[in-house]
This record gives sequence, structure tokens and C-alpha cells, in this order.
Amino acid sequence: MTADEWQVVWFTAWVSALSTLLILPFGLALAWALARRDWPGKSLVETFVTLPLVMPPVATGLILLEVFKKPGVIGGVLHRLNCDVVFTWRAVLLALSVMSMPLLVRSARVAFEEVNPRLEQIARTLGAGSWRVFFTITVPLASRGIIGGMLLAFARALGEFGATIMVAGNIQGKTQTISLAIFENVQIGDDSHAYRLLGVSVVLAFLAVWGSEFFLRRKKTT
Amino acid sequence: MKSNRLTLFAMAFSLAIFTLPLRAAEVMVSAAASLTDSLKAIAANYEKSSGDTITFNFGASSTLARQIEAGAPADIFFSADEAQMNALATNGLIDPATRKGVLGNSLVVVVPGDSKLQITSASDLTNASVKQIAFADPKTVPAGVYAKAWLTKLQLWPLIEPKVVPTENVRAALAAVASGNVDAGVVYKTDAAISKKVKIAYEVPHADGPDITYPAALVKNSPQPEAAKKFLDYLPSKEAGQVFTQYGFLLRE
Amino acid sequence: MSLLLKNISLPLAHFTLEVNIEMQRRVTAVFGPSGAGKTSLLDLIAGLRRAQSAFIQLEDRVLTDTTKSISVATHQRGIGYVPQDLALFPHLSVRQNLLYGSKSGRAGNLLFSFEHVVEVLEIEPLISRGVTQLSGGEKQRVALARALLASPRLLLLDEPLASLDTALKAKIIPYLTRVRDEFRIPMLCVTHDRFEALALADEIVVLVNGQVLQAGPVLDVFNRPASADVAKITGVETLQPGIIADVNEGLATVKIHDMTLTALAPATGTREVFVCIRGEDVILQREAAVASSVRNRLSARIVALRTEGALVRVELDAGFPLFALVTRPACTELALREGEQITALIKAPAIHLVPR
Repeated sequence: MTADEWQVVWFTAWVSALSTLLILPFGLALAWALARRDWPGKSLVETFVTLPLVMPPVATGLILLEVFKKPGVIGGVLHRLNCDVVFTWRAVLLALSVMSMPLLVRSARVAFEEVNPRLEQIARTLGAGSWRVFFTITVPLASRGIIGGMLLAFARALGEFGATIMVAGNIQGKTQTISLAIFENVQIGDDSHAYRLLGVSVVLAFLAVWGSEFFLRRKKTT
Repeated sequence: MKSNRLTLFAMAFSLAIFTLPLRAAEVMVSAAASLTDSLKAIAANYEKSSGDTITFNFGASSTLARQIEAGAPADIFFSADEAQMNALATNGLIDPATRKGVLGNSLVVVVPGDSKLQITSASDLTNASVKQIAFADPKTVPAGVYAKAWLTKLQLWPLIEPKVVPTENVRAALAAVASGNVDAGVVYKTDAAISKKVKIAYEVPHADGPDITYPAALVKNSPQPEAAKKFLDYLPSKEAGQVFTQYGFLLRE
Repeated sequence: MSLLLKNISLPLAHFTLEVNIEMQRRVTAVFGPSGAGKTSLLDLIAGLRRAQSAFIQLEDRVLTDTTKSISVATHQRGIGYVPQDLALFPHLSVRQNLLYGSKSGRAGNLLFSFEHVVEVLEIEPLISRGVTQLSGGEKQRVALARALLASPRLLLLDEPLASLDTALKAKIIPYLTRVRDEFRIPMLCVTHDRFEALALADEIVVLVNGQVLQAGPVLDVFNRPASADVAKITGVETLQPGIIADVNEGLATVKIHDMTLTALAPATGTREVFVCIRGEDVILQREAAVASSVRNRLSARIVALRTEGALVRVELDAGFPLFALVTRPACTELALREGEQITALIKAPAIHLVPR
């Protein structure tokens, strides 16, 4: 493995980790709302959350490109703040976050649903406000599912391609992830490069998914 | 009774569908992305007179070459540079007797239609106001390779390389400029003419730019060698030449 | 305590919970069969549920008033809750469970110290254990302690003894009475067990199908059920239709089929009544002709004997089905056997007449 290759691996790993942390607050809030609350239009929200999971990733990437393009409203504001997204590492972060969010939300939602609401209610009678109940009762009891969901999201982020190449481009040293590098190396005929990165990709994905399964496995009730 | 008639009809129908290709020849052409519009127009004319069907696979010449190396079905390869054609020739994948240089082109720097950037020379690209420049991937795609050659000749490449946003093919570079997501891009003059959302900021003078040649050849093991040869020979014809010139290409002999 | 529940209207699965009472005594039992809406009522008081219409006031503080859209949040009500499934936090130790409520930073000092509560409920050896390792009775006491340590102004208990066997029930009741006496917190207990109610409560509210059938001091409700439904719920063993033949100087002569009984005349002048006799109030005697103050002496045949713990339930045919509860030793001494004749004695004041 060359220094360049290690740079790609390192970049992919930290952007994936960062995206997982980034989606955590919003993802958990959404998962909790879906688990505990009901409101008109809830099924619409559920559908939108699941969309990136089933839509072609390039299509999702195209939507992101349209929303964040420089001449656009949001892109313009970001440009003035010197915070361009398209064709920068921030676009990679964006693509990974959007594509892996559904996995986190789905796992966390199931985990929250499995927490006995009675426990939350009793905690409130003991004087705990909503935030305290959430952080001291709900989250700890749902922690296995949440961690499993985070690992799943991380694994998904590691392997993201379609949306990333659309909105971040394949710029070596700046936005190139492992999957983008494999793609480029195959295109230019540098197979040995590609196979090495493929190997790393498989190992990373394996570890992440294995860890995820460990946490998501249902505890056998005695 | 009814089901018997239905089965008979279905069989006759499928027979008709499957034997269709045997009647008229279908020629598969893998061609550089920059040839998209011109070739489609030429093929439309050709199909009327010959009765054959021309199917296109447009993309970066480098990608297409890889596909042919991997055994993709193609009758003709029309590349944007000699390098990709040479790669196939070395591996004995084309018929060298049929190889000919068909077209020439020139490079231009384009900017988004509403851009206020002024590019009067190659060194203007090194200005701070130009943050990101779209190139077809300079490592392998002909348009990018040509652009890199041009800037290397002027010893400006090291300053410009950090700003490069490499794209899959030259049309993707054009699209990036058209969308406004980059400040400028280097594409063929023929591409700039296609899009209304970009304007040419600078034309690379012939002296500075590299020699651009678009060669075409028959792919060995083509499934339709006669029909393919027919179309290949049509490309340097007067009729085809008129269309190419219309789109801004230079003709070679 | 003063807990005022006015205009409560909460539609439930099969009926609407409608309550309109004021609870004044220290310990009140909400008594009724399962599914009567008792847990829903507790949830309402604790603020865990909203009703279509409700007015709830504890002491001088209005907790819920739907007409003014007032609803104090659960965590600010200061009402302790021990639910039927105890709801101990499985991921925390016993100590952490106990201290959960006292960390809430509520204004004011803790009403009871950690040591005091632990001592009264005898849970000292359990403190550092995990919650899942506790026995049923231990969990009960921990849940109780946890609620107390949150300094509640009112304690709600949902069927505190329901999931325990008889032996354990007997062990836990003293703890509850200790809580009542040591900590002097008002308590509202939901139960379907009349012995629980008798043991703990000063006041009882009978709730059936979402309606309050009767409310008042415990002995009053038990001895003087306002209706046949209440009588059935409070466990009056013998319930027979009867007709008042004659009323003389406050005493009524009641006929059940051909048998005649003397009882206290009811306030209203109805003739058709339910005759209610508690099993405990029926005395069985071998000899018939002994001078005593008992007005009602019936000759009855023993139909069946059923042992219930330390007691024996004797089903008699005295011209109408009559039930007596006697101790097992008594049963053995008298050598009660099915098919035998025996004399049943019932004091007139122990016969309660409920207008039909």
C-alpha cells in the first residue's frame, strides 16, 4: 500500500466516522419521535426517511447537487460564508450522512420501541423532566440498538459511491474515498491499486457489520 | 380453444422479434463523448440511405477502451486521442489496416454564462478568483490529457493542478461549468458550442495547444464487419464532413 | 390529605370513567374488580394521562383543569407512583434506583432521609445489588422506597399486593402500614382485594365499570353496602332477594322464600330488598335451644365445605343458600360434615338490607 492509498483509507474512515456522529442527534430525535409519537402525516415522514435507502444513490446525489449547487439559494449563502459544499470534502460528508441516516433511524427506532414506556413514565413521577428521562432511562436502555445502528450507518458510509461521486466529484486528495478510488483505478487500468483498496474495503466493512450484528442481536430472554 | 390461438400468436410474435436483427444490420459504435451530437446527426442520415441501424456508446475514450479490452461488444472505436487507440492496437484489439485519423479539434476555456471572470491568457487561470476548474480526468481522458499537455508546455500545470476538479468525461466537465458549481472548465471548442449555459472565455491558440486527432478503427472480432466497414468508410465522406464542420470539428485527411 | 377529583370524564375501552369525589382521609383505597378503570384513574392523577374533562386538586394546588387548559407536568406534581409491575430501572443498581428521585433537584429538603427509609423498609442488604436479582417482595419494597425518597406529597399504589402469594402478602402489609404510620404521607391504593383494603385504608371508594358506586369510611362501606353491586364487590357472601313482611320499632321481618329473619329496618320504606349477610357473621352451633341474644336461629343442612387457608367456607341450605366462614380448628371441633344438620346463628344487626 502506498502513502496515497493510506491517505484515501484514512480520509474515508474519518469522514465516515464524522458523518455518523453528525447524524446522531437528529437521527435519534427522529427515531424517538417515530417510536413514541403519532401525528398526521407520520407515514409521509417514515417514507422520506427510508427513501435514500431504496432510491438509486446517484439520484439522491443529484438531488443534493441541485439543492447545494453554487448558483442556488443555499449554495449562494454558503459561498458567501466561504463554506462551499459541492466538489469539496463537505460534500462527501453530506452524501455519507444522507445515505447512512436511514439505517441509524431504523435501528434506533426499534430500540426505542423496545423500551418499556412505563419506565419512562415512572421516571417522570420521580421528578425527572423529559431530557433527563431521555438521557438516563430511554437511551441507556436502547443503547445496544443505537450502537448497532451507528455501526451499520458507519459501514454504509464507508462504502458510499453514487451520491458521493455526484455531489463531491472524484478529486484525488480532496474528495476521493475508497470506493471512488477503486472506480478510478479500474478506469485507468491500475488493477493492483484497485485490488489493494478492495481488500481494505472488505476488511473495514466486515468489521463494522460484524460489530453491528453483535449489538443488534436480540438478547435471548431467559 | 382460445388458449391455443393465443399460444400460436405468441410464438409467431416472438419469432418475428427475434429474427428482426437478421434482416437489417446493427452496428455498435463506441465513440468519444465530444462526438455525441455530431455522430447522432450523421447516423440519422446514414440510416436512411443504408438501411442499417447505428447504435452508440458514448463516453470517455479511456473508459470505452477499457470496456473493449474487457470484451464489450463494439464494431467501431472512435477515440478522441491516439493514445487510447494505441492501447487497443498494442493488444491487437483493432484492425490496424482500417485505422484512420478522421477529425481534429481545439481547446477552449469556458465559464458559466453569468460569470464575470476575465481570462485573457493561460496564466489568468492561476488567479485567486479562479478557485475550481473542471477538466475531464487529466490522467486518462483525452480532453484532460490534452489540457494538461497544454498547461505543462506553458509550465503552469503545478500551479493549476490543485484547482482541478476531474470529471468522468469532457461533457461532464462542460456540465459542471454549466451548473455554476465550478469557476471555469477546459473543454473542446465543439463542446462549448453545444451548451447555452456557458460562454467561451479563452480560445487556446494552435501554437500553445497539443495536436488533437480523433482516430477511428474497426474492432477485431466485430460481429458485423461488412456493415461496420461501410459506416467507417462513410465517416470521412463529404456528407459526413459537412456535419462535422457544422459542429466545429476540423477535418483531417 | 385532601384530593379533589371533579368532573372526570375519560372514555376507555368498554366504558367511560366518570368520577366526582373528594378524598379526605389519610389512606384511601380505590376498590373494584379488574378493568374497572382504577389504573387509568391513578394515571390521570399522576398526570400520565389526559382526560376529556377533569379537575384535579391536591391540597391547595390545582393539578389539572381542562376548562382552563391547566395541566401541571408529571415531573412537577410531586406524586409518587408504585405501579403494579413496579417498573424498577433494570440498568441501574438498587442504590441508583433509590436515589433517582432525590436527584431531581426539587425545591425544598428531602422529606425523609435515605437511611430512615432504608431502615423502615429493611432493604439495607439489597443496596448494592442489581435490580434483576431481587425477589418479588424485595422488589416491592425497593419500589416503595424509591417513591418515598422522591419526597412525594401523595403516594399512589397500584395493586401493591396483587402479584404476591399469600405468605408474602402477609409480610408486605406491615411495611405498608409502617409507611403509612412512620412517614404519614397520604396514600391512594388501588386494590381488588378486600383484605388489603381493610388492612390499609381509612376510606374506600368502590369503582365498577368506571363509576363510583360508593365512597366512605371502610367499615361503613363494607358493613353497609349501598347497592347489591357494591355488596357483591365487597364480598358479602350471602346475597338473597327478600321481601319485608313487617316493620316494627325499627326492626324488620324479612322473608326469603319461606324463611323469616329479623334485621334492622332500612331507611327507605321499600318492601323488596336484597338480604346481605357476611360469612364472618354466621355462627354455627350444634345445640339449638340455648338462650342467647341472637335473634335469628336457622336450622340448616351442610351442603359443602371448602378450605380457604385458615378458614373453611361452609355452604348451608337454610331454606335459602347461606354461607358461613369458620376457622379450621372450629370445623374440626364441631366435626362438620356434608349432609349434616346444624344450627346457624345470625345477629339481627349483622343482616343488611339493600333496597332492590
